[in-house]
Amino acid sequence: MNKKRVTRLAEYFFTVWVIVTLNFLLPRAMPGDPFLYLSSDVGEEVIFSEEQRQYYLAYYGLDRPVGGQYLSYMSELLRGNLGHSLYYNEPVSHIILRRLAWTFFLVIAAVILSTFIGTVLGSISAWYREKWLDKFLFFNLIIMSEIPAFLLGLVLLFSFAAGLGLFPLSGAMTHFAGYENWWEKVLDILHHAFLPVIALTIARTGGMYLLSRNSVITVLEKDYLRTARAKGLSEKRVIFRHVLRNAMLPIVTRVFLSLGSLVGGAILVENVFAYPGLGHLMREAVMVRDYPLIQGIFLVVTICVLLANFIADFIYGKLDPRVNDYSETYGG
Amino acid sequence: MPRKHLLIILVLVISASLLLFGCGSDQTRDDQNAGVASEEQGQVDVIRLEGGDWGYPSPYAHYPRGPGGFKMALIFDGLLERGEKGLIPWLAEKYEIKDNGKQYLFTIRDGVKWHDGKPFTAEDVKFTFEYASKHPMVWSDIGSDDIEKVESVGDRQVLVTVSEPNASMLYNLGQTRIIPKHIWENVDHPKEFTGPEAVTGTGPYRLTDYNKEHGTYRFEAFGDFWGPVQKVKVIEFIPVSEPVLAFEKGEIDLTGVSPDVLPRFQNNPAYKVVQSPGFWGYRLLFNMGDYPVLRHKELRQAISYAIDAQELINKVERGAAVPGSAGILPPDHVMYNSNVKQYNLNLKKAKDLLARLGYDRLDEKGICQNKDGKKLSFTLSVPDRAVRMAEVLQEQLAKAGIEIKVQSADTKTHDARVRNNEYQLAVLGHGGWGNDPDYLRERFGGLFKGGISPSASGLQGYNNQELNDLLEKQCLEMDEQKRKQLIFKIQEILAEDVPEIPLYYTTGYSVYRPDKYDGWMFMFDHHSLTHSKLSYLERD
Repeated sequence: MNKKRVTRLAEYFFTVWVIVTLNFLLPRAMPGDPFLYLSSDVGEEVIFSEEQRQYYLAYYGLDRPVGGQYLSYMSELLRGNLGHSLYYNEPVSHIILRRLAWTFFLVIAAVILSTFIGTVLGSISAWYREKWLDKFLFFNLIIMSEIPAFLLGLVLLFSFAAGLGLFPLSGAMTHFAGYENWWEKVLDILHHAFLPVIALTIARTGGMYLLSRNSVITVLEKDYLRTARAKGLSEKRVIFRHVLRNAMLPIVTRVFLSLGSLVGGAILVENVFAYPGLGHLMREAVMVRDYPLIQGIFLVVTICVLLANFIADFIYGKLDPRVNDYSETYGG
Repeated sequence: MPRKHLLIILVLVISASLLLFGCGSDQTRDDQNAGVASEEQGQVDVIRLEGGDWGYPSPYAHYPRGPGGFKMALIFDGLLERGEKGLIPWLAEKYEIKDNGKQYLFTIRDGVKWHDGKPFTAEDVKFTFEYASKHPMVWSDIGSDDIEKVESVGDRQVLVTVSEPNASMLYNLGQTRIIPKHIWENVDHPKEFTGPEAVTGTGPYRLTDYNKEHGTYRFEAFGDFWGPVQKVKVIEFIPVSEPVLAFEKGEIDLTGVSPDVLPRFQNNPAYKVVQSPGFWGYRLLFNMGDYPVLRHKELRQAISYAIDAQELINKVERGAAVPGSAGILPPDHVMYNSNVKQYNLNLKKAKDLLARLGYDRLDEKGICQNKDGKKLSFTLSVPDRAVRMAEVLQEQLAKAGIEIKVQSADTKTHDARVRNNEYQLAVLGHGGWGNDPDYLRERFGGLFKGGISPSASGLQGYNNQELNDLLEKQCLEMDEQKRKQLIFKIQEILAEDVPEIPLYYTTGYSVYRPDKYDGWMFMFDHHSLTHSKLSYLERD
């Protein structure tokens, strides 16, 4: 048991190390450097003289051999220092922390909503399998799940924000407004988050729906359900106690494993609504070759995904006693 | 039991993230201005513009992009500023160029105050030049060895001795943002210096709020400003998703518009549409160093004749651009020579020129070749946003029998290719075409400092002694009119030699509501209304 945990931990550390190293090498393998500006954005004027470029490369130690840079990066990282952003001119950890909160907020709200709605609709569909309601839900949700979140975001933006004026056009809160109290601020933030969250939720609900429908159908065909019914248990008890409980397993796994991809979807939606999350930041960091920031963002995303995996492992074990029994009996 | 766990974890994460941005977005705000319109003519309380994070607006911390630099320039003044027609006296009341451009004597304005109330002195100017030589500012107008020495003469005069006379030096010295000695003298790492005192300037506006992750800025008129009255009391930059929507909804007061949505605003007295001068352009570069065939002037001229710039503009920019001038300087430039040779589309001339080089027969695909079977086929490198343009060029040159293979990459990769001479033909798009014409020397002359010359090693495979001499001469000529003559001659030579082809200069459109505010103006060498500090101030 203990030995197994140690191996498991070592595995996680090894994964992190490999990824950290890749994060370090990949940005540097891209052509161009952070201070090379020959082109500029349309309408923009950027002129860095060669002298200035050399100055900054030396200033940030980027003129040293890659091996030396790697060692100092690793030793700084072990001390918890993610470095200083070359473009944004601020410690990387500050930048990421402040933006990550907004992205998490969107993503988690969307996960909860889409999981809830998807599971409910999926169960209903499975229950009325092959009836018209099932067919209706199936058809519509399949179509909805195929629309990319950012496109949905644009449609929502143009109809509800621009057309009807029900929601703000952009941003995460009203600026320079001055709130009367904290409650007003929270409402304002929710008001701004509504459309992005809905876009992400709609885009995800289809997948959750399909999965839970499938999962519930599989469970419905199991023998123990016939037993449960035969015992004379109420329908409600059968559904919630026996069906859903057993159908939950793949759904829970899916929720956590898909967190990574959801962050990807959030990035595009954030760009549509000019929402201050990681989205715009990640794109910009790669465009301007901001090595420390690219490293930092990838590292944080990596850790989040690993953490999600870890939680999924943990919860799976709790939900399905067989997993732990198995490993305790045969594993290790 | 397990579901309870899940719930607890979720609640924890949500509250953690709420907490985090609760802290992150605490705003230091000044009192909100009442929305009452000012009685005075043409004045306005608040102007809102498209925001986005462009960095902390100190001369060292803003991002190296226009919107960052110009926000900084609202706070920090130069000795000279860019007016509508040229440089105008600003912190320097007057200046004198001495010793054939070796020395500059600036007389600084009296009674100027820093935002913290301390008086501005000649010492601050001296300090700034010395400090900026040691630590280059983001907008680095002066290099580490440009200035030989700086002396203050009395309280109100500063004498700058430059290492080498150069006609563009006045602009560079004048544009350098003056920073207060009493704040910066103990700062060793100016890039990391981002406290509130780092944005103490002498300029017309003070920064009262900045939020990095939301991309918001708030500037308020500085009460003790020495100069023209601020017609805009407060400038707010707010995040915007769709600028045109935001403008129509009245969230922002000015926006750039693409030609597609232009009809919505034209012929409507509520709006005013302005076309920007073309100071942002695309160049077609020839790698003459590594590909000797490109050293033939006739080939480069033939390519010029084969390109239909107007078609490029119509197809790629929807008409919002002006064709490139073969003399490089754009038509809106103060020293533009309109009488240089121009290459309008002429396929016959193109083919004649190619025949003269021996490329007088076509292969089965219609590509020109000479008697040894050598074909005119080139790879054209473009940044990925210019792929559409590359395709049009490909079609156009095919008609003259020149084959083009397009190779696209993201901007930084493309830049690296150009810099390392890893291309045959390349398209490069950037701004700064309205700048001091000394950039012609950096592009085509013998001396290179990088930056705007196509590559670190300079322009190889092209050498015109007459041009080199003129380029050296113009930068030593301190007389504006005489210098203009030299620049005119230089444009003629460039137009004949075609060391590169300027394809076109973009001229975007801006729209605003004149009822709200009508004080917008362009600086003589720049394309953006909102970037001009004078746009917000009283003018005669």
